[in-house]
Amino acid sequence: MSKSLWAAIFLLAGTMIHMPGAYAQTIGFADAIKILNSSCGEDIEKYCKSANIGNGRIQKCLAENEARISPRCKADYAGVYISLQTRLAAQSVVSRICDRDARRLCSGTEPGKGHVLRCLLKAQPSVSADCNQAIDDAGYR
Amino acid sequence: MNFTHLFAASIIALPLTLSGAQAQTQLSRNEIVNSLQGAQTKAEINAADVRAQALQNIRQYPGDNATTSLPISAQLAKLRQFNVEITFDFDSDRIRPESYETIGVIADALHTPYLWGQTFFVVGHTDAKGKREYNLELSQRRANAVREALVTTFFVPSEQLEAIGLGEEQLRDPSNPDGAINRRVQLINVGF
Repeated sequence: MSKSLWAAIFLLAGTMIHMPGAYAQTIGFADAIKILNSSCGEDIEKYCKSANIGNGRIQKCLAENEARISPRCKADYAGVYISLQTRLAAQSVVSRICDRDARRLCSGTEPGKGHVLRCLLKAQPSVSADCNQAIDDAGYR
Repeated sequence: MNFTHLFAASIIALPLTLSGAQAQTQLSRNEIVNSLQGAQTKAEINAADVRAQALQNIRQYPGDNATTSLPISAQLAKLRQFNVEITFDFDSDRIRPESYETIGVIADALHTPYLWGQTFFVVGHTDAKGKREYNLELSQRRANAVREALVTTFFVPSEQLEAIGLGEEQLRDPSNPDGAINRRVQLINVGF
């Protein structure tokens, strides 16, 4: 992945950490990856016939064939991987953003195995806007 | 032999009646979560034992088709699980692009707090066409490919997933051994 891609991801993640109230646009893993099929499915079948999806092999193949792939694929494929990273980043900041709510509303909940988050999901009306937004951005709802 | 859609079609059909793509994904994710959640304790089942039983089934009861189910199958059947269709290239473990979204939906489900910290078997099954040993080996490679995609592309913690290929040793519909209903990827929740 290029430096600029990583920079974009860290910028997005940073935005979510420092401005938890700001709306961060995230989409689910399925909604992100389906764009890879709709925009690049034909190119993948043409130029990446021996590559599997795992371990970044399709992404690498499309990058190597950037001069040949369709304009639509070229415009969209990097964004797919940014969306996946953005969703992951959104998930990684939830416990920090929701820490105060967890202590306020779920102090009797045994931590680990998703228990605290499930408590926060149930307590939605009493949960702070920032924490509820973080949970939405993470795709946990 | 036609292995093009070896793992094709099972119970999770995408709800095509819904208009919004977002709604489709949402419903499928929740369907998976609802099917898999609720495991209470760790099932005492080891992935290596399941693989060994499949191989033993071929050696002990040779023949064109399996005639006996695995000793562990009754125990597996009691666990929280669901079946999904994933399509692969002919004779290959390469996942076709039209199935990327399905794997993404599984990832969306596995990332929800409802399924955190639990271990899942990703089990590949074929129909009964072709040689049993061959189907066993191919289904293992395909299960490996699905697991790899979930772990690397979709960031599912690797310790939560075990890949198992059962070939044609555990047909979904033994009365219709060559039927598409047998080709599937099964996710089984083996608990905490």
